[in-house]
Amino acid sequence: MREVAWRLFASEYNDANLEMDGGGDRAPSYIVTPLGAKVNRVFVVGVITDVENVGSDIQPMWRARVSDPTGTFHIYAGQYQPEAAATLSKLKPPIFGAIVGKSRIYSPEAGTVFTSIRPERIKPVDEAVRDYWILEACRSLRKRLDTMAEAQKMDPLTKEGLAKMGVKEAIADGIVQAVNHYGAVDLSRYTAMLAEGLRYLLPEYREPVDPREATPEPVSPAKEEAPREPDETESKVLEIITTLDKDGKGAPWEGILEAALSKSVAKDALEESINSLLDKGLIYEPILGRMKKI
Amino acid sequence: MREELAPHVHDINRALGNKVSEQEIERELSSYLNVYRVSLDTAKRSIVKKHGGNPATLAIGVSKTIRELGPGEPSVNLLARIVAVYEKEVTPQGQETKTILSGILGDATATVPFTAWEPLPMPLAKGDVIRVQNAYTKEYRGQVQVNFGVRTAVGKEAPDSLPEFKPGPGQPYLGKPTPVRVVDLREGASNVAVTARVLSVERREVEVDGNPKAVFSGVLADETGKTQFSAWKDFDLKAEEVLRIEGAYVKSWRGIPQISFDERATITRLKSDLLPPANVLNASPRMWIEDLAERGGGADVTVRGILIDLREGSGLVYRCPECRRVLRKGACRLHGEVKGEPDLRVKAVLDDGSGAVTAVFDRELTEALLDKTLDACIAAAKEAMSTDIVRDELADVLVAQPIEVRGNVTSDDYGLMMIVESAKMLKVDVQAEAREMLEGLEGSA
Repeated sequence: MREVAWRLFASEYNDANLEMDGGGDRAPSYIVTPLGAKVNRVFVVGVITDVENVGSDIQPMWRARVSDPTGTFHIYAGQYQPEAAATLSKLKPPIFGAIVGKSRIYSPEAGTVFTSIRPERIKPVDEAVRDYWILEACRSLRKRLDTMAEAQKMDPLTKEGLAKMGVKEAIADGIVQAVNHYGAVDLSRYTAMLAEGLRYLLPEYREPVDPREATPEPVSPAKEEAPREPDETESKVLEIITTLDKDGKGAPWEGILEAALSKSVAKDALEESINSLLDKGLIYEPILGRMKKI
Repeated sequence: MREELAPHVHDINRALGNKVSEQEIERELSSYLNVYRVSLDTAKRSIVKKHGGNPATLAIGVSKTIRELGPGEPSVNLLARIVAVYEKEVTPQGQETKTILSGILGDATATVPFTAWEPLPMPLAKGDVIRVQNAYTKEYRGQVQVNFGVRTAVGKEAPDSLPEFKPGPGQPYLGKPTPVRVVDLREGASNVAVTARVLSVERREVEVDGNPKAVFSGVLADETGKTQFSAWKDFDLKAEEVLRIEGAYVKSWRGIPQISFDERATITRLKSDLLPPANVLNASPRMWIEDLAERGGGADVTVRGILIDLREGSGLVYRCPECRRVLRKGACRLHGEVKGEPDLRVKAVLDDGSGAVTAVFDRELTEALLDKTLDACIAAAKEAMSTDIVRDELADVLVAQPIEVRGNVTSDDYGLMMIVESAKMLKVDVQAEAREMLEGLEGSA
C-alpha cells in the first residue's frame, strides 16, 4: 500500500526528533511529530527561497529551502533523485514549488537531529496552489490537535481506546508513539501555529507589505519577532564555525563540538545555539552534519 | 477466545517471519474478527497481506462448516461425513492415468463435492466420518469443490462425532443477524441485516451446476452508501422499495463488498419514507481514502484530493489491436510487434492526505482535462518527435492540482485503484474556508 503524503507545516515537521523503523528489510520508516503525525511521505507547497549545489560538479547534491508560513523545509536531491535534481537545478528562486518526497531524519549524534525531505517530484506552481496547500495543512493540523487533545485526557492512553473514538489505526499508532516519546506537548503552541496559518491566507490580517515579495531569506513570519542578533554564546559558536570552515564546505559537527568545549560552551548550550542560529538564518547546513555561516 | 486464537497468531507470525509482535497480531486479529466480523481465514490472510507477507505461507487451516466454504480457500479443516464416494480414472496432462477418489461430503450445514488427488491411507465408505486438515477449495462451474492434495491429512473419526446428514435446503443461520450499515459491509461477513432502498434490480439467468438459475441483481443503498446485490431467490424485488433484509452474506468483487442473500434470508417491506428518496441515495458518497482502504474499495464513490504524481504510461499510448494492451517499444507483450492504435489515458496518484489511490482516466476524460483531442496530441507528438510532450503537458495541467473524481474503487496487491467515471478540477474558496476555520478556533478558545 502506498504511503500517504502528509500535509504538515515546517515548524511541526522540524520539531520532530523521533524516528520509527518499520522493522524488517523493506518496511518503510517514519518520522513521528510531537502531534503524532507518522510521516513517511510529505506533500509540501511553499516558496523555494534558494537552491544551491552543495555537492561537487561531478556529483551534484542540490539543496533547496522551502518556506511556509511557519518555518523552512530542507530538501536534498542527489544522483538518486535524478528527476527532482534536474528540476531543482533549473529553478530560479524565489518561486512557488510543490514537492512530494520522503521524510528523512539525520542525527549526527545523540540529542541532535535534523529533518529534511528527499524529493520524489518537484513542480513549479502558482500562488493558488500554495494557498490551497496551506488550507489543507491547517485542516490536517486541526485534526491532529483535536485528536491529541483527546489523547492527552486518556489515562492510560491506548490504541484501543483511540480506536473506540473512531481514530484510524495508523493515526492511533502515531499518537501513542508521540505521547510516549514527547510526553504531554504544549498544544497552545500548535493552536497558535494553526491560527497563524489561517491568518496568512486572509487579506484582512496581511501586513501592508506583502511578506511573500520579500523572501530573500526564509525568515518566517512566525519568527520575525525573534532577535536576529546572536547572543554571546551564539557569537562564540558562529566564530568557531567560521574558523573551522576551511574548505568552504562548512564546519564539521565533531570539530565544532570540540572547539566549543574548549571555549567552555557546554554541549547543551552549543546545540541550543546552533538551533537558534539556524532559526535566525545566520548559519545553514550545506550537507548534513556540517554548519556554514551565511 | 485467546487460547483458541493462539495457534493462528503463531501461524500469522511465522508467515510474516516474526517481524510483527504477537500482541500486535493478536490485537489486529481480534479487531478483524470482533469489530469487522470477517471470517478467521479472511482475517488471517488480510493481516499477512497487510504486513507484506504471502498468505500462501499460512499453514494452519481454519475449521469450517461446509456452508461456510468459499471458492479458492488455500487451507481448510473439515469434519464431515461421506455422503457418496466413487473411484474415477483421470489422465492429467503429461502424466499417466491414475485412480482418484471422488464423492460428496456432508455436514449439518450443506454438502459439497470432493476429490482426493493423492492416495489416502485408508479406504473410505459411505457413512464414514472423516477429519480433513489442509484441504483446499476451487470453484468449478459455479460450485465450490473440496480438494485433498499432497499437504492434506485425512483421518477417520467415530461415526457419532457428527449427526447423520439429512438432505434438505440450506440450514438457517444460527443466532440473530447483525445489523450493518451499507458502508460497514465487509467481505466474509455472514448473517447480517441491512435496511436499504432498492435503486435498481434486474433478472439474469446464470448457470449453476449446468442448470439455468435466475439471479436478481442490482443496487441497494442506505444513507451511508450503495452496494451491488445478488438475490438467489425470487423475492419479487422492485426498484424504489425499502427493505429490511435479514440473514444476508457479503462477498467481494475485486475488493468491493457486495451483498448476497438466498432462501435463508427474511425480507420485510418497510415504509418508503424511512430512507431518503432514490435520487438522493443514488448520489455518489464522498469518502476519505483511508476509509476506502479499510473497506477494500467502494462502488460509485467520490474522492477529493490532489494528483501528486503521474504514473508510467500516462499520456499518448499505443495499444495492441488484438488485446488492447499498451505497447512497450512498439511491441505487445503477447502479440509481438504490431501496428498500435493510439489512445490517451492518465494513470495518476491521487492523495487526499488520508491515503492514496491510483486514478485511471480514459481517453474522453483525458481529452477534457487537457482540452485537446487525441488527434491534436498525435500531431504535437509528431512535431516534437516524442510522445513525452503529451505527458509533460498533462503533468503541467494536473500535478499538484486539487481535483474531485467519481468512480469505482477496487483493490489488489498493489493497493487501491479508481476507474474514474467523471472528474472536475476543484476551485476552492480558500479565504472563505480559512475564515470559517479561524472563527471556529477563536470561538472555542
